[in-house]
Amino acid sequence: MSTGEKKRVINRVKAMYPLRAKVDESYLRSQEAIKAGKPTVWAMLNFCYGDPILKAMDIEVVYPENYGAALAAAGVARGYLDRADAEGFPTHLCGYSRANFGYAARLMELGGEPPPEAPMGGMPKPLFLLSSVAVCDARYKWFQALGRYLDVPVWTLEAPLPGIREFQLEGCYEEMVKLSVSHLRDFVTFVEKAVGRKMDWDRLDEIVNLMMEINRVSHEVNELRKAKPCPMHSRDFWSAMPPALFLLGDLKESLQLYKNLYDEVAERVENGISAIPEEKYRLVFAELPPWHSLDLFDRLAERGWNFVIESFGYHPPPPVDLSHVKDPLERIARYSLQRMVANYRDALQKNVVAGADVYIYLKYVSEWKCDGAFLHPLVSCRSASTHLPHLANILMERLKVPSLIVEGDIVDLRLFNPQDALQRTEPFEEAMEHYRRVRRELGFDW
Amino acid sequence: MAAKGLSRAKEVCSQRPAVAKGATARGKKVIGYPCVYVPLELLAALDIVPYRLYGEMREPVTEADRVLPASFCPIMRSCLDCALKGRHDFLDGVITIHSSDPQEKTARIWQSYTTLPYFHFVDMPGTTRPEAVDYFASQLKGLVTTLESLSGKKLSADNITKAINAYNHQRSLVQSLFELTRPSPPLLTGTEIVQVIKAVMSLPVDEGNQLLTEVIEEAKARKQKSEAQRARLLLWGSTTDDAEVMAVLESNANVVFLEDCGGYRPYRGKVSTAGDALTALARHYLTEITCARTFIQNVAAPTKKDYHKDLHARYGYLKSVITDWKVDGVVLLLVRYCDPFAFEVPAVKDYFASLGVPATYIEYDYTEGSLAPMRTRVEAFLETIG
Repeated sequence: MSTGEKKRVINRVKAMYPLRAKVDESYLRSQEAIKAGKPTVWAMLNFCYGDPILKAMDIEVVYPENYGAALAAAGVARGYLDRADAEGFPTHLCGYSRANFGYAARLMELGGEPPPEAPMGGMPKPLFLLSSVAVCDARYKWFQALGRYLDVPVWTLEAPLPGIREFQLEGCYEEMVKLSVSHLRDFVTFVEKAVGRKMDWDRLDEIVNLMMEINRVSHEVNELRKAKPCPMHSRDFWSAMPPALFLLGDLKESLQLYKNLYDEVAERVENGISAIPEEKYRLVFAELPPWHSLDLFDRLAERGWNFVIESFGYHPPPPVDLSHVKDPLERIARYSLQRMVANYRDALQKNVVAGADVYIYLKYVSEWKCDGAFLHPLVSCRSASTHLPHLANILMERLKVPSLIVEGDIVDLRLFNPQDALQRTEPFEEAMEHYRRVRRELGFDW
Repeated sequence: MAAKGLSRAKEVCSQRPAVAKGATARGKKVIGYPCVYVPLELLAALDIVPYRLYGEMREPVTEADRVLPASFCPIMRSCLDCALKGRHDFLDGVITIHSSDPQEKTARIWQSYTTLPYFHFVDMPGTTRPEAVDYFASQLKGLVTTLESLSGKKLSADNITKAINAYNHQRSLVQSLFELTRPSPPLLTGTEIVQVIKAVMSLPVDEGNQLLTEVIEEAKARKQKSEAQRARLLLWGSTTDDAEVMAVLESNANVVFLEDCGGYRPYRGKVSTAGDALTALARHYLTEITCARTFIQNVAAPTKKDYHKDLHARYGYLKSVITDWKVDGVVLLLVRYCDPFAFEVPAVKDYFASLGVPATYIEYDYTEGSLAPMRTRVEAFLETIG
């Protein structure tokens, strides 16, 4: 990536750094734990569904999706992608999965030892694979396909996803809960057999409560970002999100770190401190950022572009009181479903039937008062891209907010041109100015 | 004299909307569906005519460009494009199902940009576990609720049993149809089968069964030709909905088995008539339709895994096809961006290799322009298998 000089412009929130550090710490701790004989699992991002169970069973978890991004950021993905091509995987498949197939082929070639060129010590051979049907087909077909390299079992987590209107039919939500709870109970049995230990239900109970509280605080931090000027940039959100999204490390420590983040952001709001020197435009970002080219955002910050909200899938669910639910598995199920369900109810009221991932951006843009949307369709990630053309249409139709669409890829650096993105900023600023006037004429309040 | 058998199938294929409009004119409700996972028994039991929605390879996609990215299942893009151009406006509604990302994501766009009086999206679990079957049955119950409201009729136990029997009969007839490709040379070509299946999926169940009966009789009456031995191919993929694609594959070979949703796949097995009908339908559709979208657990070893056992659990049903239909080679034919099947490619090739059958993977973009390169690829493959 090259966007010219490396000047840092974004005013990073200091309390974000210890949260970001937990990612590297987590890789290091995994390496040490594995050397000490602790079981490791490769898992898909499962939206707080399977993670608390693995955590309660004291299993180390690594996420090949994240590792795919790490390979891209370290500039070493190409070799693994080429290996996946040679193994016969079609080239249009998810870039993360292709990098992982190449990695797994190398891992097995080396007798289960992580390849020496792998960044952060690599991912060790797992005890089992935990996939999820949530979000996209790739996230369970990928782990099934890994069976070619890894002689370990796969558990696929269900994730019910009815339509917004159909969700209103009698009994639909309770059937979703029933499926989820029953499924999680079987998953616990599966994990117990795999590690040869019984579940500590008190520990699980405590972990679930901490998980919900961490995510509640993280949610409140994002609410603070509605302030003008916005005190925390999307880059800080992305840097700070992993401990909440993946339940990294010690949860009590994470909770304190998110509280620290909240305090610092609240203080910035009180003192009118912005995340960038001069906030001229407020933007929303959808969906996955160009991990390999993040300094693009510094160049945009120089022009007064403040990214105030972003990436729906990475955000915590709206808080919900589940203190009356005694069974921790049911609490996990209801909490995890809340991510979609809360938005379904709102979406129907606003007559948006195109899914929570479209509705939520209408909410973001209108509540965070955005002037524009930066949409980043990814060539090899259809789940994060398919809704974007419709999203651009509906943002314009309903809120008179324009979108800048810049294509790229999650792993393949050749498919993203930051210079091209920068060249399109000036005309887009004219569009944002124009529609700001249009909105005011129509009576919008931003 | 009205056309019968294969002529009738060809006629129906060329006039599908007119045939469906005929049902509308007779006062029937006609509901479109783009995926074979929709349990048609529920529609038939409420006197609703199901109408399979297809893409149109020869039609340039223009309208769908506004709402879907280019790197997306070209069949569903084309299907939606037809809907946005008003080609399905004669329908009373559409049922979509969560059988894959493209189906689910297109459903949302479809619902947002069209104004049909009825639209229902059925959620579908990813696994075949018992709780998944129960959940799918509850989703079918929701479908019944909205269909009853549309039709103004209540689903009776008698009618659902009759509908299950009628579709089970259709499954038996299609299975018999494929018996006719066992001889060498086969009594029916793959190209003819694609047309017959497409016609059957455009007709009410009884008319479809009548058509199948006629085709079987007609093909059985054909004289066995003594022609030069041609390679016998198995086609494995998501779906084939255009006879011209099959004609390309069959220019120098016979496709004797179509393991896809335009061939045998939707007609494997039978729905049980014992017990609760919705549970039986849920179990059948979830477990018997061998689409790559469903995660098959390797039950032989729940906490350990053996790759070869895993392959057998996923593709074992193809072993007898290879031997009984005397298959010489397999063409894995996919449209670009068909992720569930694309992830399977190396594994299914491994499985065919374990059976000693050569296989080749061909990808196309669902345009007429892709047929010429496809022909070249098929010819090259046929040369390698002699």
